Amino acid sequence: MWNTLVSIFPYAIAYTIPMLMTSLGGLYSERSGVTNLGLEGLMLVGYFASAITIKMSEATLGINALPIGLLVGVAAGAIFSLLHAFASINLKADQVISGTAINMLAAALTVYLARTISGSGNVRIMMGIVRKNIPFLSKIPIIGPLFFSQSYWTTWVCLAIWGLSWILLYKTSFGLRLRACGEHPSAVASAGISVHKMRYFGVAMSGALAGLGGAVILITYSGEFNGTVAGLGFLSIAALIFGQWKPLGILGATFFFGIATTIANVSQVIPSLQVIPPVFFKIFPYVATLLALVLFSKNSAAPKASGEPF
Amino acid sequence: MKKLAVVLCIFLMLGSFAFAQGSEEGKAKKSNLRVGMVTDAGTIDDKSFNQGTWEGILKASKDYALDAKYLKPAGTTEADYLKEIGNLVDAGYNFIVCPGFKFETALFEAQDKYPNVKFVILDGEPHSADYSEYRIEPNVVAVYYAEHESGFLAGLAAALQIKEGDFGFVGGMEIPAVQKFNWGFQQGIAYANENYGTKIMMKQENNLYQGSFDNISAGQQIAASMYDRGVDVIFAAAGGVGVGVINEAKNRASSGQNVWVIGVDVDQYPEGVLPSGKSIILTSAMKYLDRASYDMIVAELNGSFPAGEVLTFTAANKGVGIPAENPNLDKAVTDEVSKVSAMIASGELKVRASGDGLFK
Repeated sequence: MWNTLVSIFPYAIAYTIPMLMTSLGGLYSERSGVTNLGLEGLMLVGYFASAITIKMSEATLGINALPIGLLVGVAAGAIFSLLHAFASINLKADQVISGTAINMLAAALTVYLARTISGSGNVRIMMGIVRKNIPFLSKIPIIGPLFFSQSYWTTWVCLAIWGLSWILLYKTSFGLRLRACGEHPSAVASAGISVHKMRYFGVAMSGALAGLGGAVILITYSGEFNGTVAGLGFLSIAALIFGQWKPLGILGATFFFGIATTIANVSQVIPSLQVIPPVFFKIFPYVATLLALVLFSKNSAAPKASGEPF
Repeated sequence: MKKLAVVLCIFLMLGSFAFAQGSEEGKAKKSNLRVGMVTDAGTIDDKSFNQGTWEGILKASKDYALDAKYLKPAGTTEADYLKEIGNLVDAGYNFIVCPGFKFETALFEAQDKYPNVKFVILDGEPHSADYSEYRIEPNVVAVYYAEHESGFLAGLAAALQIKEGDFGFVGGMEIPAVQKFNWGFQQGIAYANENYGTKIMMKQENNLYQGSFDNISAGQQIAASMYDRGVDVIFAAAGGVGVGVINEAKNRASSGQNVWVIGVDVDQYPEGVLPSGKSIILTSAMKYLDRASYDMIVAELNGSFPAGEVLTFTAANKGVGIPAENPNLDKAVTDEVSKVSAMIASGELKVRASGDGLFK
């Protein structure tokens, strides 16, 4: 059992990280008071933008194309999310509809652009990140093989972003103001701070982080843009709710989803897991979310003004 | 607000002009045959079924100056397929190619509904939804492939090349076309072990069907687990799931591990290429998809459409096999494989299309 766990842990982490980033993006947006159901679409935009960038530049830049692709994915996600920000902040549109529109637009637009630019709806990059054991750290008993072996460098970048976001949101006055925009925007406005600017920041961060999530999918486990992120964006929203809109909560929730999905995927290969039908693991994240919603909906920690135009 | 509406209206009009012109391309036609295709699950450029079939149609449309068009249904239900078939017929397409067994029930209805339209179905034949009635009308031809022969040859080639090791199989959905690849593959390995003294192992848990054709991450994680458990070669007959398998193999190969993938349907060698120029695709179990659509169109043009027949493309009529070029295989191996291929073609060697005594 221990060996099984050690062997699947790195893959579960790799699968978790894009979800964690997207969920963190959702946290920024919702904490600032804008519901963002467009995370799936924003991920897709980042996924696509990084794929096309890396494909065009990998012949000349080689391995350096990967970080550039990541950055382009982040930028594309942020820019695309401004559509949602404009609709929901300036035009005071229904944020649920605007987010849904983002999803539909992204799904169609990315495939269309992929066809136009590269001639195929599937954009394949030659080489993603090669997994490495981290020197020294991977030799530590127990946590070494679990966390520091077979890891992608993006994992550590993303975890750093997660940590910095926590500090930004909970330890700085800027973070306090951002969160206040999601709870009681008129109080923030009366203190002389622009709620619109804060919300723009929140939505743009959600776009950037979802774009990062999409780009990480590409350069870690998929290696090909194929026009879908397979519902990971929606799963990230579920993780956001399950994690009660808190950084530590979403870390736990996304990892929980990540490991459940990984076990579901590999259970067929591993005899000791074959006793449980894979369908059980596959529905696990969704059933858990439903249960969590039922249990926590009474004292839900959702930002009070999330979804309300100001 | 009014101004905005006016501007939007202008855009809309301009847009519709732009699209209206799109349908008038390619005027010179020799024949009144218009070839349509409805795609199966996945995109037109899936590097597999849809793409292979479409390439055959495109080739025919170029060679004979025909009009060709494909439609992608919104889903993969019978109703979705029938709707797009209907759309093609309404638009005047009188020769429709349907790649995939999922079209079986849709064609069962369409063959009666549109008696003047010719249909080609690949990998299946029309039957009613509850399998109670199989009926093929004279306007339909059904094409099967002998996937087991293709899988056999790929398994044999890989076994002869690797000589000693552990093999795995990752399938997409557990459907006949994929199962036959698997069964043939296992027979090919067994044949190599018996007749050439290779020592290839295959464990039961390394032989599985993922259950979809589009889950890249599952493909990657399954492949990673298999390679972790000592598998050297994975035969991935799984569409997008195979993309994940190939990606994982590339990752491992570039950190120095000796792992391989056997491709499926088309020659996947270019997809496994690493920055070093080498490819992790050992060989591919091919179905010459473009040949079926091309041959059927040509047959129709020559007036020899095999009306109402069920055809099988096999090694004997060069419908399946491994690629002509295999840079990762030794010359001695490919020579041996073509010998065995000739034996299959002549009927001297039989590959079973059933899973008796095999895994899954």
